[in-house]
Amino acid sequence: MKQYKNNKLGLVGLGLLIFFLLIAVFAPYIAPYDPHQRFDSTEHPNSEHLLGTNHVGQDILSELIYGTRVSLFITLFASIAAVGIGIFIGLVVGYFKRFDFYLMRLTDLFLTIPKLPVIIIIAAFMLPSVWNLVFVFAIFEWAITARIIRAEVLTLRHRNYVEATRLFGAKDSHILAWHIFPYVVPLVFVQLVLVSRYIILAESGLSFIGLGDPTAKSWGMMLHDAFAYPTIFISDLWMWWMLPAGLCIVLTILAFTFIGYALEEIVNPSLKKSPWI
Amino acid sequence: MQTNVITKIVGYIIIIFIIISLNFFLPRMMPAGPLSGLTSSTPPVLEQYITYMVDLMHGDLGWSSSKNAPVWDVLIRSMKWTLLLVGSSTAIYISLGILLGAVSAWKKGKKTDVGLLVLFIVLAAFPPFFLGMLFIIYFGWRLDLFPRFGAQTLYIDYSTAFGTILDILHHLFLPALTLTLTSIGVIYLLTRNSMLSVLDQEYIQTARAKGLGEWYIIRRHALKNAMLPIITLVALIAGLAITGTIFVETVFAYPGVGLLVSDAIAAHDYPLLQGAFLFFAFAILAVNFTADRVYELLDPRVKED
Amino acid sequence: MKKIMALLMMALLLCCAFSGMVVANEEGEMVAVAEEGEKVVKISGDDWGYPTPFAHYPRGPGYIRMSFMFDTLTWKDEDRVIPWLADSWSASYDAKIWTFYLHRGVKWSDGEPFTADDVKFTFDYVKEHPQQLNYDEQNVDHVEIMDPYTVSIHLKESRPAFIEDVTGSIPIIPEHIWKDVDEPGKYRDDDAVIGTGPLKLVEYVPEQGYYEYEANTECFKGHPIIDLFISREVSNDAIALKAGDIDVASFWGKEIVAKEEFENDPDFEIITGPSWWVRKLYFNCEKYPTNIKEFRHALAYGIDREGFVKNVMHDGAIVANTGIIHPDSKWYKDDLPGYEYNNVTANKMLDELNFTDTDGNGVRNYPGGEDIEFVLFANTIMNAKDEAEYIHENLEKIGIKTEVRMMSSKEIDPILNTGEFNIAISGHGAIVQPRKLYTFYSYKNDEYNELYEKQLKTTKEDVRKECVGDMQTIIADDLPVYALYHPLMWEVYNPDKLDTWFYTKDGIAVGIPIAQNKLIFLFDPWRYDANEDGIIDESEVDDATQDYDDGKITSEQLDMVSNLYYP
Repeated sequence: MKQYKNNKLGLVGLGLLIFFLLIAVFAPYIAPYDPHQRFDSTEHPNSEHLLGTNHVGQDILSELIYGTRVSLFITLFASIAAVGIGIFIGLVVGYFKRFDFYLMRLTDLFLTIPKLPVIIIIAAFMLPSVWNLVFVFAIFEWAITARIIRAEVLTLRHRNYVEATRLFGAKDSHILAWHIFPYVVPLVFVQLVLVSRYIILAESGLSFIGLGDPTAKSWGMMLHDAFAYPTIFISDLWMWWMLPAGLCIVLTILAFTFIGYALEEIVNPSLKKSPWI
Repeated sequence: MQTNVITKIVGYIIIIFIIISLNFFLPRMMPAGPLSGLTSSTPPVLEQYITYMVDLMHGDLGWSSSKNAPVWDVLIRSMKWTLLLVGSSTAIYISLGILLGAVSAWKKGKKTDVGLLVLFIVLAAFPPFFLGMLFIIYFGWRLDLFPRFGAQTLYIDYSTAFGTILDILHHLFLPALTLTLTSIGVIYLLTRNSMLSVLDQEYIQTARAKGLGEWYIIRRHALKNAMLPIITLVALIAGLAITGTIFVETVFAYPGVGLLVSDAIAAHDYPLLQGAFLFFAFAILAVNFTADRVYELLDPRVKED
Repeated sequence: MKKIMALLMMALLLCCAFSGMVVANEEGEMVAVAEEGEKVVKISGDDWGYPTPFAHYPRGPGYIRMSFMFDTLTWKDEDRVIPWLADSWSASYDAKIWTFYLHRGVKWSDGEPFTADDVKFTFDYVKEHPQQLNYDEQNVDHVEIMDPYTVSIHLKESRPAFIEDVTGSIPIIPEHIWKDVDEPGKYRDDDAVIGTGPLKLVEYVPEQGYYEYEANTECFKGHPIIDLFISREVSNDAIALKAGDIDVASFWGKEIVAKEEFENDPDFEIITGPSWWVRKLYFNCEKYPTNIKEFRHALAYGIDREGFVKNVMHDGAIVANTGIIHPDSKWYKDDLPGYEYNNVTANKMLDELNFTDTDGNGVRNYPGGEDIEFVLFANTIMNAKDEAEYIHENLEKIGIKTEVRMMSSKEIDPILNTGEFNIAISGHGAIVQPRKLYTFYSYKNDEYNELYEKQLKTTKEDVRKECVGDMQTIIADDLPVYALYHPLMWEVYNPDKLDTWFYTKDGIAVGIPIAQNKLIFLFDPWRYDANEDGIIDESEVDDATQDYDDGKITSEQLDMVSNLYYP
C-alpha cells in the first residue's frame, strides 16, 4: 500500500480509473439528458448540448457518460470473470497434482488459440449484447492467469508452513483458502489490470467493426456511428463526436497501464518486468 | 528435444482441428446464425461435417453472397494486400522497436529515454482505428499529403514499374504507419527492459570501463544477450499486428482480408467471415509456430531438454 | 544468432517485395490508362461483380456497371422511352405480338455485326438462364426473325407494358460469344463483356471495387464525350469528392447532410431526384396478433411517420404513400388514408381489442396475460439500425415491446417467406410500375391478385389505372405493410469533369434510381436546344461553337449540331 502511494504514475492511473468509475456509477446524476432522448440531430456544441448532438439527435455528452458505464461494465465484469476462472484453475492445478497434466494442456491450448479472431467470429454469430461480449471475453482470457497462478502455487505448496498445516490434518480447501490464496492476491491484481487493459481495447475494436450492442452504446460503438456518418471527415463534427470518445478509450487504457506498472513494481521489483503496455 | 517438438506439433494439430470445427459448428449452434431457419430435411450433422472437411481440403470455403464469388477466390485476391501491409509494418516496428529500445536503455533516465518511453506508452493506448481516423483527417485531408483510401491509383499510367511501386507505397504509408505506431510499443519496451538487465551485468560494465565504443558494446554484447526474450514474444506481437489490420484496413478502405471482415459483418455474409477467420487464425498460428522453432534453434537450454 | 535474425528480416522484406511485385506485375499487364489531356471521370462504388448480364450482383449498381456495355432494344431518357437497338416497334391489338425494327449498322465491340439473330438468341437464352435483374422473360413464347433487321416477339399472355417492363431491361448479348456458354454466371472471359454500348471494359479489380472503362469509339450512337470512366471504392464519399478522388457522388435519404455540405461549395453542382424506393413495415397477416386488422391499424396510428422523416431521415425523404407506389409515378393514387400519428387513437384501439396492461409493467398483455412482445426484424440495407430503433421507441409508447434484430436481405427474405415473424422492416425500389413485387410474402388477398392479373393484361390504359388504384386502396386499407417513407436522392458532381448527369424517367431499366444513365457519355445535340423548341437556332449554334473551341466537343459533333440548325 505504502509502496503504491510512492509511485506517481500509479497514482495518476488510479486517479483516472476512479474518475471514470465515478462517472460510470453516477451516470444518471451527471448526464444532462437521458442518452436515448432525441433532439435536433448533429447540433454543434452549445449551452444546452456541450458536445452537440449525434446523427439521431442524442446528446453526445450524455452518450459519452453512459458509454463509460457500458465500456467499464464489460471490461470489469469480463476481466473479473476471466481472472476468476484463471485463479480457480491455477489453484486447482497447482495444488492437486492429479489434474495437472490435462488442465495444463487445456491452458496451453487456450494460450495458443488466436484469441481475437476467435472472439470476433463467435461474437458475430451471437446476438449482439453486452452479456454476450462479457461471456466471450471471459472464456478466452483466463489462460494466462491460470498459468501464472499455478507457477506461484507450485512454489508455495512446498513451503514449510503449508506442509506443516497439512500434517496437522487441515483440509485441502482450508489450506488453499487460508494459506495459499492470500499469497497470490497481489498477482491476481496485476492480472486483473492486464486483462482489463486488453479487454477494453478489444471491446472498442469489436464495437467499431459493428459487433457491439446497439442498445447499450459503448465508446467503441460511438466511434462506429461517427465513422459511418457521411460528413465526419470534412466537417468539424469529428472534434466533438469522434475525438472525446476516442480519448476516453485512450485515457482508460493509460490508466490501466499506469496501475499495472505500479503494481508490477511492487510484486516483481526486479528489472525483468513483463513487457506489456 | 524430440518429444518436446512432437508434443508441440500435436498441440498445433489439435488447435487447427478445433478452429476448423469451431468454424463448422458455430453457424449450427448460434441463434443469430444464418442456418437457424433450416428445417430437418438436411442430412445428419456428422455427414455434413465430413462433407465440410472434404470441401475444405479442396479449398472450397463456400460461396460469398455479398461478393458473389467463391470465398476462396475473394480471399486470395485480397491476401496480397494484407501481406504487404502486415509484412512492411512488422519489418519496420520490429527493427525500429529493437533499435529504439536499445537506445532508450543505453540512455536510461536521460531525455531521449523518457521521451521515447512516454511516446510509445501513450501511442500503445490508441486503438488502431482511432489513430487511423485522426491520420485521415490530418495527413490525408487537412495537409493532403497522402491518399485517404485504397491501395493504388490504377488509372494513372506510371509507364515504369518504379512509378507504380511508388504509388503503392504512397497509399501504403498511412495504414502502415498506423499499424506500426500502435504495435511498436511492446517490442520497444521489451527490448528496453531486456537490455537494462543485460547492461547491468558485469561484463558490460567492464566493456564500458575499457572505453569501447557505445555501438560496439550494444551490438556485440548487449543486444546479443537481450535478444532471446524478445524473440519469444515476437510471435505474440505479430499476432497483435495481424489482427490490427482488421481495424486499419477498415478505416483506410485498404483492400485486404481485414476489410473483408468488416464488410462481411456489415453484410451478414457468414461464409466470407468464416473464410477470413480461417485466414487470420492460421496466419497467427504460423507465426507462433515459426517463432517457436527459431527460439529452439537459438536457445541452447531448450535443446538440452 | 545474428544471422538468423538477419535471415528473418530478409524473409520479411522479401515477403513485402514479393507482394509488391505481384501487385506491380498485375499492373504491368494493363492497358489504356489516362494520358495527358484525356477526359477521365471517376465515380465511387464497391465491387458489384463482373459486369455481364449474368454475373453482376442483382442490384441496381451492378446493372448500371453492366449497362455501359450492353444495350437493350429500348431505353429511357429524362422524359420518355426512347428507341435504342430498335429504331421503332409495333404491337398487335392484343399486345401479344411485338415487332421490332432494328437499327442497321450496329457492331459488337469485336467488330461482328449485330442482327436479329442476336435478339432471338438472347430471348431464347434468358428463358433458360435468367439474367440478374429482370423478370417476366418466361412470358415470351417464341421469337420470330422476319428479316435480318426485324424480329417479332410472341408472348404467351398479353402485356401492354411490355416495352416499359421487359425490352427496356433485357440486355441483348452477342450470339457468337454466348451460344456455347452453359454457365453464364461463371463465364468471366474477356469476351464476356463484348457489347454494343458506349463504353468498353478495360479492367476489373474486384478487391479494390475497381472498374475501368474506355470509350467505344465505334458506338452506333456516336463517339462518347469521355475517354476513361472509372468506378473505385472509397470508404467515405464526401471526403473523396472534396479531395478529387472521385468526380461525382450519390447521396440519398439520411445522407442529406452530405449534400448540404456541398451546397455552399461553388465547385460542385447538385441535382435532386426521386429514388423510386420505399421503406416498409411488414405485418404478418397470418400470425396472431398481427392478423387482426384493427391491431395493424392501431400500430400504424402509433408510428409517427412525420417525426420519423424529420428526426431519423433529417428531411431527406418524404412520407410514403400507404398504397406504396411512388407519388411521382403516373399510377399513383392520392387521397389514400395516411394514419396520422395519434397516440390516443392507437391506445384506444388497443384497449378495445382487449390488449391492456394488466400487470402494470408498461407493456400491454394478451388476454391470456403474457406481455405483447415481438422481435422487430430489420434489414441492414441503408443502415436501418437507427430506423428500427425509432420504430422500437414509437411502439414502446403504446405499450408494445420489441427487440430489434438486424439481418441482411439474404437472411430476412426467408423469414418473411416462412412467416416466422410478426413485424419486420425492409425496403425495395422500383415502385414506379405496379408489380407483383409489392405483394407480400405472407399476404393472401384474392381480390388484390385478381386486380393484379387484370391490369397486367388489359390494353386499356384507363382500366389499368383504375385497377392499380384499387390495388393501392386495398393495401392502404388492409395494411399488410405500412409504407414509411420514400427517400430523396442527390447527385453531387464536379461540373468541370462531366455535367451531363440526369435522373432517368421512372428509373433506369426496371426502375434503378441512379443518375448514371449511359446517355451521359453520349453527345446529345438536343442539349444545345436551350429554349427546348426542338430547333437549334443561331445563338445556340454559337454555344456549340464555343464548346468546340474549348475542346468540349469534336468537329464531328459540331457538325451534328449545325445539321440540326433549321432542320
